[in-house]
This record gives sequence, structure tokens and C-alpha cells, in this order.
Amino acid sequence: MSIGGSDLDRAITQLRACRPIPENQVRELCYKARELLIEEGNVVGVDAPVTICGDIHGQFHDLMELFRVGGDVPDTNYLFMGDFVDRGFYSLESFLLLLCLKVRYPDRITLIRGNHESRQITTVYGFYDECLRKYGSANVWRYCCEVFDYLALGALVTGAATTLDPTDGPIAENVNCELPDSDMDIEIETLNANGEIMFRYARNGDSQSSAASQANSNPASSSPIGPTPSRSGAAGTGATSSANGSTRNDTGAILCVHGGLSPLIDSIDKIRLLDRKQEVPHEGAMCDLLWSDPDEIDGWGLSPRGAGFLFGADIVKCFNYKNDLSLIARAHQLVMEGFKEMFDSTIVTVWSAPNYCYRCGNVAAILELGEDGSNAGYQRRSNGDRGGGGGGWILGSNAGPNGTNDENRRLSSVLGDSMQKPRDGPGRRYRVFEAAPQDSRGMPAKKPVADYFL
Amino acid sequence: MSSNSQIPNLKTLLGRGRGAGLRGRARGGPGASTESSEAVRDNAVRGTDQDAAGSRVSCVELGYLNDPYAKLFATQSSTRRLPLLNRGSYVRTTAIDLLVDRFLTTPTHGLKQIISLGAGTDTRYWRLHDKYPDTPLLYHELDFPANAASKLLSIQRHSELEDALGAPHFGLAGPQQSYHSFTYNLHALDLRILAATDTASLPDLPNLNPTANTLILSEMCLCYLQPEVVEKIIYTLTTHYLRSSTPTSLVLYEPIRPRDAFGRTMISNLATRNIHLPTLTKYPELADQRARLKEYDFGDGDGVVDTGFVWREWVSAEEKERVGQLEMLDEMEELELLLRHYCVCWGWRDGDENRNQERDGDGDLFRRAWEGVKGTNGG
Repeated sequence: MSIGGSDLDRAITQLRACRPIPENQVRELCYKARELLIEEGNVVGVDAPVTICGDIHGQFHDLMELFRVGGDVPDTNYLFMGDFVDRGFYSLESFLLLLCLKVRYPDRITLIRGNHESRQITTVYGFYDECLRKYGSANVWRYCCEVFDYLALGALVTGAATTLDPTDGPIAENVNCELPDSDMDIEIETLNANGEIMFRYARNGDSQSSAASQANSNPASSSPIGPTPSRSGAAGTGATSSANGSTRNDTGAILCVHGGLSPLIDSIDKIRLLDRKQEVPHEGAMCDLLWSDPDEIDGWGLSPRGAGFLFGADIVKCFNYKNDLSLIARAHQLVMEGFKEMFDSTIVTVWSAPNYCYRCGNVAAILELGEDGSNAGYQRRSNGDRGGGGGGWILGSNAGPNGTNDENRRLSSVLGDSMQKPRDGPGRRYRVFEAAPQDSRGMPAKKPVADYFL
Repeated sequence: MSSNSQIPNLKTLLGRGRGAGLRGRARGGPGASTESSEAVRDNAVRGTDQDAAGSRVSCVELGYLNDPYAKLFATQSSTRRLPLLNRGSYVRTTAIDLLVDRFLTTPTHGLKQIISLGAGTDTRYWRLHDKYPDTPLLYHELDFPANAASKLLSIQRHSELEDALGAPHFGLAGPQQSYHSFTYNLHALDLRILAATDTASLPDLPNLNPTANTLILSEMCLCYLQPEVVEKIIYTLTTHYLRSSTPTSLVLYEPIRPRDAFGRTMISNLATRNIHLPTLTKYPELADQRARLKEYDFGDGDGVVDTGFVWREWVSAEEKERVGQLEMLDEMEELELLLRHYCVCWGWRDGDENRNQERDGDGDLFRRAWEGVKGTNGG
């Protein structure tokens, strides 16, 4: 039997209801998916607009919540950065649904490989057992693993806009500060699951607002002359650091990869040269891309995970500069706020499994990048004194009395003085969401024990 | 086969009939008697013991811990736990082992005694018996009658367990709940009866030595009881069963930090299993745990660490490397979260007589044993 057209739509309907499809359909689906994925390069090209998602880990009901919050396929263009399976109770349904959507709408959904898309890891972390339990044999697990071997290792997003069209939505409760004027260039926006604005940050400005924002109540201290302009942005954004945005208006590409960088890879072309169609090796470039983590260190470090490496800000900034990237988006690490920008917003972790393992209490996030269409030929305005409103930095005067901005100085020490300024990051809209309600997720009546130390 | 199925608890059955099952248990709700919901909770707490036993077996089988006795007590067929939980169980055991080892290896004139509360299937007595064959040690375990009976059954079945109990071997013939020898004692009782203020109603604890240097151990036990009950139990142990002049210490292993997202989720998840942790609310942070020991009158010294600290600071580099190679551990962030939410806390009293007289030099036993142990405040 074949799984095309209406069969495929039926399978999608069934999987959306969290019901597994028959084994022969899985075999067919996996065969189709492999035919499709074999045509993709190691680094898939993706055009903005796109919504970037992190780890799912078999939390099917939360994946449904993700689609509710981010829009359905094919209306929204999705990029999933791996770790579809293991840990949660519904790895099978989650992965097969994503795979069906991939086969049905190949240009509207991109799947790249995570470190859990591996035979070895899935035998330890649950997916193998789940397949065995649901089908009585390991066949389905084997079909899925063959698909894993064909998943791309990364994606390169191009055509992203440097600024966001401000969301014309209500302001979330608890946000009692003034948002930046809507005619300013919005670099970061954080929305809750209802589309209400939690945080907004204007590029090059300190004009931002969030529940966590400091009270901009003292106009006298609102000039950019302060010794350390402390910017308390929303949790997770680079605006919480002393990073001072970026200054250019053409954004480079965005590299999406599950884990991070590798000491064996200094260019994206080197990723393209790897032979990816295999089980994830224990070491080497392919392993590193799926296992590594950014960390507050200089250079490279050993990873406590036993695979991959730790890499510091200098590594990211060099790599981005060399490859004309404005941002690396990656997943792999649980972050309690759903996303976390690091190293002056040159890398971001996106985590899309809320209340991970039904235990961690974290929220999840997805990252929306807009299309650089309306902003074509866009020129930076330099007239923008916010005028009167407290707390506004003067737009475009980034290298003002506070000195040349720190980020560039630090970067030039890494790259040498002849370096150019880094690329502007894309406008980033984070949608943050919580776990689907307990009663909708159909938790197995008898939960596995040993969730805690008792 | 679990201990609960061997000896049915009639109170539990009562509770079920009244809708005090997993979901329906409404605190103080109409029709739900306190007794029945309490019974359901007790049952849930007793059930935690097999959780711990299974985790220990998983750890042993993978090489984290060396404990030939663990599998002899586990009643469920072993299931391999996630690397994260294996690592956590390893850290928990290592932390308590370190404090106990230091207690046992510190020279004294007097006898040493350990009172393990809610010991369940714990194998510590047998492990210590192997490790320190020449150290005179009087060991007491206190637990629910059902758990104690189940433990004795396991001991009867395995001669390697029974052989270590020390002469005289009396009364291990038929089914029973308690066991007494001059090295090992298993007292079957509900700990809460020790909270009685009327000393006449307190049970006899055979072979408990009122003057031996004593370490009281509560590994995930007292946390299931109400704080005021715990306080009374400790008071009874340290003033009634032990002389107030006896050098005594308390080592606690408990969950902490209930207020953050992970902690809140932990409380609500455990509540669905009918497990409640009253001391977690009362002593939420490390400092609260430490202050608590002073309230119990262990005022001569104390320390507290979360188990993340134990892994980082107490485990040697070589041991970290060994353990790190046992399994590929993908759950680093989760492990850190988990370890942050459990603590080991210890405190002691030197004992009045000894402090005044310094006669037999045991007054500062616990100081000598634990002064080098790194706590969060460096003390």
C-alpha cells in the first residue's frame, strides 16, 4: 500500500489525535521521507519567514500547543532543530506527525537532526521501549532510525528582516511599563501564548519595556552617559546583558543546528562536506554539531556530557564573522525561560518542551524570524530622540558618550583591528508557552516511578 | 511482590472506599475522614521504599555503587533507571557514606551507635559490617511494621544477610517484625508514636544504648512527617532514649527549594502520588535546614550542602571521571536542577558531661569527624 495523497492526510488526522498509525504505513512513510531527505544537503537552505523550534522530546500535547501558539502547518513555515523523540510518553506520535507533515508539505517544514535521533541514545532514553510497547516489535523503531540517518545536520536561514513589525496586540498583564514607540526599529519582542506582548526591545535603544524592566522613573539618569547602562530586559534576551544591540541594518544568515559548533568545523562549507548518512558517531565534527554547548569560557572546553565540546563567545563571534552569520540558533539545553540569548546575542538557545519530562517546571519558546520584504531598501533613521519618554537612548547614537560600544571592542580583540563590525541580528519574536493542561495530555494512569529521589 | 501486598493495611482499604484515591483526596473535604486519608498517605510513603531500592539496584548494576546487598532487598525486577537518576542516587549515597565513614573512622573510647529512621530496604548496615569489621557498632533501624517484616523476610531468605547480623541469632524462625542482637536491631514501629509527650507510653527499644556516641540518620524519612511531630521525635530520641549527656548527631537528607518552578512542580507531582513533604514547606532553604538543627539542640556544630555541591566539591576528580564514563549523560541541565533540590544537613551536640569533664575524650568526636567536611559556608 502506498501513503500518498489522501492516505497521508488520513494518517495526519489520526496522528493529530495522538493515535499511532499501522506499521505498514510507518514503513511507507519512512521510505517516502528518506527519498525526500536524501535530496537535502547537510545544511538545508530556508527562506524567512520561519518559526524555529527546539527540543520536543515526545511531549505530543505540548507539540499541539506549539502549533496552536505558532500557527499550523502549512500556514506557518517551521524549522525543528531535532530531539523529537525520547523522554516524553509520545515520541512515536510526535515524530511520525512531524514526518507526515514533512512528506505532505516538504517546503513548509524543515527537520534537522538532534543527538537523540540516534540508535544508541533512543535505546537508553525511551523511544526504543515505546516502539516495542506500541507495536510489539522493534520494526518501527528501525524504520525511524533509518530516517534519522538522513536528517540534515543544520539549516541556513536567509532573507530575515532586521526589525520586526510590532505586534498589534494587547499588552500582557504585569507589564506596566511603556513599550517603545511603534515607529522605532523593534529588534526583540516576546509574546505569551495568547499573543499578548510581554516585552519589546528597540534596536540600539534602551527603549524597552517588560515586566522585569527597571523603573524608568528618573529622567535625569536616562541619558546614555551612565557608566554601565544596565539593561534589564526580559528573561532570556540578550537585553539582560550589557550587550548593546548591534548597529548595522543588513542581517547575515542564521545558522540553525541542534547542539553547536565543532573545533573541526570553521566554515559552513565544511559541514556540507560531511558524510552524514550514518549513525551519530561518538566523536568528530558530526557528533559535535549535535552535542556541543556554548559556555562562559574562552575557546574550547571539555563537555560534561561526554560528547561534543563547550565553546566560548570568541569561538561564536569568529565563526559568525567568517561565515557572514548574524546569529546561531540552537537547542539541546533546557532553559527555564524557553530561550536564552548569549554572547551579545550572537547565539540563542531555543527550547520547546514545556515542563520538560513533566518535572522541570520550565516554559517553552519558539523563535519567529520575519521576512525582509517590506524593509527592502530600508535606511536607518537617525532622527529618533524618543523625546520626553524616560529611559530612551538616542537612536543611532550607539557610539555616543558611552564610548565606542563594548561589543565591537571586545570582538576586535578577537579578530584583529581590521575586522568589520558584526552583522545586525535579525528581528526576533519569541512566543513563550506553558505545558498543555494536565487533563488534555492523557497522562498514563500509572506513571513510571523514580521521578524523584524518594 | 511488595511489602504492602504481603501485609495488607486495612486502614488503606478504608481510605479507598471513601474516595480518598489518587485524585479524590480533598483535604478536609466533606466525608473524608482524616484517618483514612492519612492511611492512604502512609501507604504511599511506605511505597517510596521500593522506589529507592530499585534505584539502588540500577546504580549497582551499572557500576555506580558497590553494594552486593541491594538486589537482595529489591522486590521488583530491576529496571534500568535513567542516567540522571543513577547519578543522583550515586551522589545521595556518596554524601551520606562520607559523613558516616568519618564518624566510624574517628577514634573514640566509647561505643558507636547508629539509629537509622525509616531505614526500609537500606543496606548500609551490611556495607558497614564489611567495610569496618573491627569497629564495634550498634545499629538500629526503625520502620513501619510492614516494611520491617518485609525486610526480615529478605534477611531470612539470604544467608549472607543473616550471617552478618551477629550472634545471638534468636527468633528468625517464623514471620515477625522486629529483630534484636547486640549489633543489629530492627524495631518495627510507626515513628510517630515516639512523638508522645507521655514517656510512659513510649515503647521499649531493646539494645538501644543511652550513652553510646550516636548518629541519627534520616534519609528521606522525617520529611514525610509534620514538622512539630519531627521535633518531638527528635526530642524523645535525644532525651529519653539517649541521655542528654550523650554525644549525638543528626544527619538529614531531604528535598529543598520548593518555591522555584522545579520545586513547585515537584510538590504537585508528588501530591498526585499522595506524597506530601511538610518539612519542605517549613524549611525551604539551606539556611532554614541549618537553623532547624539548632532548634533540635544540635548546637555544637552543623553544616548543610545541596547535592549539586556534593557532586562538585565532595567527589574527587578521579571518582568523577570514573562515574562520568559509566554512562553517557545527556541530561546535564536537568541533573543540576534535580541535585539543587536535595540537601544533606548535619549537626551535633558534644554532650554535657563530656564537654565539662573531657574525661574520655569523646566530647568532640563529631567535631573531629566532620570538621574537614566542606559546607556551603565553608564550615
